[in-house]
Amino acid sequence: MEIKELLKEKEFIIFDGAMGTQLQAKGLKTGETPELLNLTEPELLKEIHTAYINAGADIVSANTFGANRYKLEHCGKSVNEIISAGIKNLKDAINKSGKKVYAALDIGPIGQLLEPTGSLSFEEAYDIFKEEIIAGRDAGADVVLFETMTDLYEMKAAILAAKENCELPVICSMTYEPDMRTFAGCPPLAQILLCEGLGADAVGVNCSLGPNELMPIVEEICNNTRLPVIVMPNAGLPDPETGAYHITAEEFAECTVKMAGLGVSIIGGCCGTTPEFIKAVADKLQGVKRVNKTVNRESAVCSGTKTVIIDSPKIIGERINPTGKKLFKQALINDDINYILGQAIEQVHAGAEILDVNVGLPDINEEEMMIKAVKNIQSVTDAPLQLDSTIPAVLSSALRIYNGKPIVNSVNGEEESLNTILPIVKKYGAAVVGLTLDKEGIPKKAEQRFEIAKRIVKRATDIGIPKEDIYIDCLTLTASAEQEAVRQTLKAVRMVKEQLGVKTVLGVSNISFGLPNRELLNHIFLTMALENGLDLPIINPNVPSMTGAVRAFRLLSNIDVNSKEYIAAYSEVQGNSAPVTQKQEITIGYCIENGLKEEAAKLTKQLLQTMDSMEIVNTMLIPALDKAGKEFETGKIFLPQLILAAGVAQSCFDVIKAHISATSQSPVSKGKIVLATVKGDIHDIGKNIVKVLLENYGYTVIDLGKDVDYQAVVDAAVKHEVKLVGLSALMTTTLKSMEETIKLIRANNLPCKIVVGGAVLTPEYAEKIGADFYAKDAKETVDIAKKVIG
Amino acid sequence: MKLEKLNRDEALRYLGCRGDVTDDKLTALLNICEKNLLEVADARYTYGVYSIDFEDEGIRIANSDILLTGKDIAGHLAGCDRIVLMAATTGQGVDALLRRLQITDMAAAVVTDSLGSVAIEQVCDKAEAEILKEVSATNHTWRYSPGYGDLPLELQRPLISLLQAPKKIGLTVNQGNMMTPTKSVTAIIGLSENEVAPKKRGCATCKLRDKCNFRKTGGHCGN
Repeated sequence: MEIKELLKEKEFIIFDGAMGTQLQAKGLKTGETPELLNLTEPELLKEIHTAYINAGADIVSANTFGANRYKLEHCGKSVNEIISAGIKNLKDAINKSGKKVYAALDIGPIGQLLEPTGSLSFEEAYDIFKEEIIAGRDAGADVVLFETMTDLYEMKAAILAAKENCELPVICSMTYEPDMRTFAGCPPLAQILLCEGLGADAVGVNCSLGPNELMPIVEEICNNTRLPVIVMPNAGLPDPETGAYHITAEEFAECTVKMAGLGVSIIGGCCGTTPEFIKAVADKLQGVKRVNKTVNRESAVCSGTKTVIIDSPKIIGERINPTGKKLFKQALINDDINYILGQAIEQVHAGAEILDVNVGLPDINEEEMMIKAVKNIQSVTDAPLQLDSTIPAVLSSALRIYNGKPIVNSVNGEEESLNTILPIVKKYGAAVVGLTLDKEGIPKKAEQRFEIAKRIVKRATDIGIPKEDIYIDCLTLTASAEQEAVRQTLKAVRMVKEQLGVKTVLGVSNISFGLPNRELLNHIFLTMALENGLDLPIINPNVPSMTGAVRAFRLLSNIDVNSKEYIAAYSEVQGNSAPVTQKQEITIGYCIENGLKEEAAKLTKQLLQTMDSMEIVNTMLIPALDKAGKEFETGKIFLPQLILAAGVAQSCFDVIKAHISATSQSPVSKGKIVLATVKGDIHDIGKNIVKVLLENYGYTVIDLGKDVDYQAVVDAAVKHEVKLVGLSALMTTTLKSMEETIKLIRANNLPCKIVVGGAVLTPEYAEKIGADFYAKDAKETVDIAKKVIG
Repeated sequence: MKLEKLNRDEALRYLGCRGDVTDDKLTALLNICEKNLLEVADARYTYGVYSIDFEDEGIRIANSDILLTGKDIAGHLAGCDRIVLMAATTGQGVDALLRRLQITDMAAAVVTDSLGSVAIEQVCDKAEAEILKEVSATNHTWRYSPGYGDLPLELQRPLISLLQAPKKIGLTVNQGNMMTPTKSVTAIIGLSENEVAPKKRGCATCKLRDKCNFRKTGGHCGN
């Protein structure tokens, strides 16, 4: 069966209504697993399906909404048994009716949150859906319906599982709140971008609200998708006391006619709807003509919670890239993901709207690092990403686990590149940057680059990548080496924009390489490029004049209407830190005591001109930290103040680290320590406090994060040859994991000590589970580190 | 539900601060943290009223497979014939904010985390008041949650599923029975026409009694 084929035969496709409501009406116990009834009460299920078939449904959903491994864990039956029985009941009912009705494998959310807020990984989610899909496929389902989804990431895992394991059409419906977002913060446009890109057959919305309340969301979806739109509203809003829904079948059906007018072509019901509702809908839609909408969509990319529409120049931040950056390279080698995250957040604060992510370094496993970087960056910022690598396998892995619709950087005019990159771009529904070069290199003339661009656009559109998802990079050459080429680049940008009608992208900073006052050249070149039609400048957004040029351009081109964005960006009150008292001479100690981060960093920079870095650390930073530590122990200051002090010290260390790396001295580290919040535990703020303090005292912390597998702790301890491992657990329930982790470390005979801490831990318990030390707080952990490592 | 203001003294107390500790820099930090937290918080709650039956093995939520076990909940619900089961969360935005702050500003992260705990308590207070207005009962107990006393944490999953909390307010539990979003609460309030357990929670039912830092210093966590 094909949705599009079915829509050729019929004006509208009618879905069935609620299953849960029917089961409750027939006496289902509260809290019982409704899918179990597929095996225990097949006749009851068939009866409900038959009622919907008789009411006029074209597609009926099997009773399989929650039939996943996680939800069925305690019921004693397998996913396969329950889904097979569910589909069989439905097909029996269909066959008996003699009507041409299709069976949908109905799949709802897994029931626990995915990473980063939850602890279910994307890969596990994929496996859970895969199991459901295979069971449904083998049982003979005609179509897969994903519904009531709230997390775009979960939706992606679901669609991939369907596309890779069956040939059935896939319908993707999410649940929105009145603020036009899902619980996870996903807006309708992001749903559309992702689902269309991954090859869904229909998109839409179900549940949460009644048909009237859903109208604005339905309109937004209809205005933006080229796919058939499905809507399955609740029967109004439930009464908070009784849970009963308030609108009648007649009113409900009236609303669906209005929705048909907006462009909806697939209609069913969710909570509270009955066969009566479906019959009313089928009757009301008799004779109504479907609206065949044409949608012209702008280029757009998204993360799980944010869409960036490229209807005017948007800034791509270039800083997540190790090229020419010693500290960045060091961070990659040390697995220091937080360094990269800091770069991501800083750029977004500075005005970047999309972030380029490149973690390519010869000595590391780029694929693993890329996956880690993308997942982590997406956990701290909602900016969409541009995945940047020269290795197709790296791009493919990153595309798979990315939440949303990203940009791929890049494909070029060479056959090999076109043949390997474009298919993965298509498979994962990304946008792609096309570089105007081929095996002959970068052509000198704009016309030649234009020809390559044309070829890339043709090849991409030939395999089904929509034109709006192709962004052409006409390539910036260095002005110091090829001065005459600057005009050619600009000319090519204009030609591509005007004649091919695709978006353009340029890495700007390369223009000034090897020349003094690079900022000036970058700034002017950026302005020239924008005027020639550049849509996506890749720049360092932390340089105010660069971000400023884009903002000013938007204002002067009448894009930033009423100068709103511009004013918002530049009239902001500066700083939220405590007022700086104008002391004659502020010292590092004074800054640490008073929480003055920026001042401390500035001061450190000055001091480094005349003092040795280790001298600053040993005579100023450590004593100031010791003082704060003492005051904390004696109850003069408390946790927030202690961490404020540590934060200031951190900013000094950052300056010192940069200095050391710039002057090629060997980095100062007293030794490495592995820290982890144990398996099953997702509260890692305590561990992070410990980390900040340890770093302050010059230790290199290998931070494994939260919910860490036992083996991962052992692996890290071996890899980094650490003398000390720190484990944290917040809950009584996860102390068991702490014990298991310690056991595994001991079983591997690692020559390291173990320190443990956490709210529910006691010194006695620490000893019982085999830890070497118990630390009651971060300060005590530092003391222990001193003892163990020195 | 909209929160206007958070109880900062409470947040500072959670952080182990004793006495008047507010200085300029801490006040500035609290200001900005409270503002940012209230901006991203999306507080929601849901509830249901259920009859209960006292059985040998525990208290059964009527017409369900859920058994509330342990002597503490039995004491808590003594004399009650119904319960309010409620679940509340401040939403995923708070977790995202905390993740961000732990990269950029640990002090702000610690303070925001504490304010988040205050926020969910305030949400529960407000929700409880609203619920009790709707539900007619002469007497009611205080809010009791899985993990208090000997009431097993494993109840989180069935309770959340009974309330359809994932669908209604976006609240789920993971395999380790931890709630996500993290700033979330489930609670049981006993309803009765008779006398019920004293209004206030206290150290007596608290599992952390022996390890509690508040108690060690002669204080009290406020619960």
